[in-house]
Amino acid sequence: MFASQSASPTLKRQISVIAATAFVTLAVAITAVAATPAETQAHRKEQYKALGDAFKTIRDNSKGEPDWAAVEKAATFVQKVSVEQVNWFPKGTGPEAGKTRALPDVWSKPADFTAAQKLFSDKVAGLTAAVKAKDSAALGAAFKEVGGSCKNCHDGFRAPE
Amino acid sequence: MNESAPAPETETSVSSTVRVRVWDLPTRVTHWALVVVFGVLWWTAETGRMEWHRWAGYTLLAFLLFRIYWGFFGSSTARFSGFVRGPRAIGEYLRGTWAAAVGHNPLGALSVVGLLGLLLLQVTLGLFAVDVDGIESGPLSLYVSFETGRAAAEWHEIVFTALQVLIALHIIAVFFYLLGKRQNLIGAMFSGQRSFDKAIAPMTPGTWPKLIVGVVLAAAITWAVSKAFQFS
Repeated sequence: MFASQSASPTLKRQISVIAATAFVTLAVAITAVAATPAETQAHRKEQYKALGDAFKTIRDNSKGEPDWAAVEKAATFVQKVSVEQVNWFPKGTGPEAGKTRALPDVWSKPADFTAAQKLFSDKVAGLTAAVKAKDSAALGAAFKEVGGSCKNCHDGFRAPE
Repeated sequence: MNESAPAPETETSVSSTVRVRVWDLPTRVTHWALVVVFGVLWWTAETGRMEWHRWAGYTLLAFLLFRIYWGFFGSSTARFSGFVRGPRAIGEYLRGTWAAAVGHNPLGALSVVGLLGLLLLQVTLGLFAVDVDGIESGPLSLYVSFETGRAAAEWHEIVFTALQVLIALHIIAVFFYLLGKRQNLIGAMFSGQRSFDKAIAPMTPGTWPKLIVGVVLAAAITWAVSKAFQFS
């Protein structure tokens, strides 16, 4: 249709997507670098709170007939957090930066902490699969597995209230 | 109801006191069940055994519902109408001019109403509560937002503290009666009988049909609540 143009619309779209992705990545990187320890703490606290909200949605829907649209939205957020959280505990964002329930072991036992975080993202895969298959029985089972992985990390790396 | 009648010790008793029936069996069983279940709830909450905490909570709810029912249809000393009185009666009791009768005295009645009311509030808050991670929750949290569920959980902690205070007061009071006034209220809550200086009208027990209705009602309501009213 537009033979005179040097690039096809598809290619143009691809370029703009790449450019946008690069821009967003850069912006996130800059924000991450620019964030103060207190901001990082506030951000992860807020995100984990939203994670609690998402978990409640999934739990509520794992009894009876699920509202799959709501479950999918919540599960997408859980998946996002499970990936992003590995960047939420840079050095210097422990108790020295302000009130936090994150225990010093987060930074003194990095291998254990990373393993605990990985267990979470591994279990989320099962949750994502159950949501994709719209399998309510699998959803309930996957929720328990994910919940166990949350507890696993909280027991060792989060101070009791 | 056909409980074993008190031993006819009034004539042979060494002291000149009379044994009088004060509490019927359902009231006593409910009282001690609430004590035990409250302990279990405290322990399971402290140690994070939330599955057990929910089961214990349902048990408490069932006994509490039965006690409230028994407060309307039960024995004479269990009925609220029999012991909840106004400030004038409390004043008379404090001045020592209140005519002695079996059952709660006008001041103790406040403690009973306060404890039962706070327990009901506490168990209701627990039914709607959600933990910070959205993993553990009461069955009725299904009907409220995460924010509301969190608020319920925070109030659940505040009311727990209030309950601890009221229970401590209750225990201090019964020990004051035991040591200061030489009246064994604790023993009476086990045996159902108390010694009085003179003959006094005993408690009138409830009836079997009303007891059965109350037990069935309390169990049915508790079961429905635990299922969040979803019966599929």
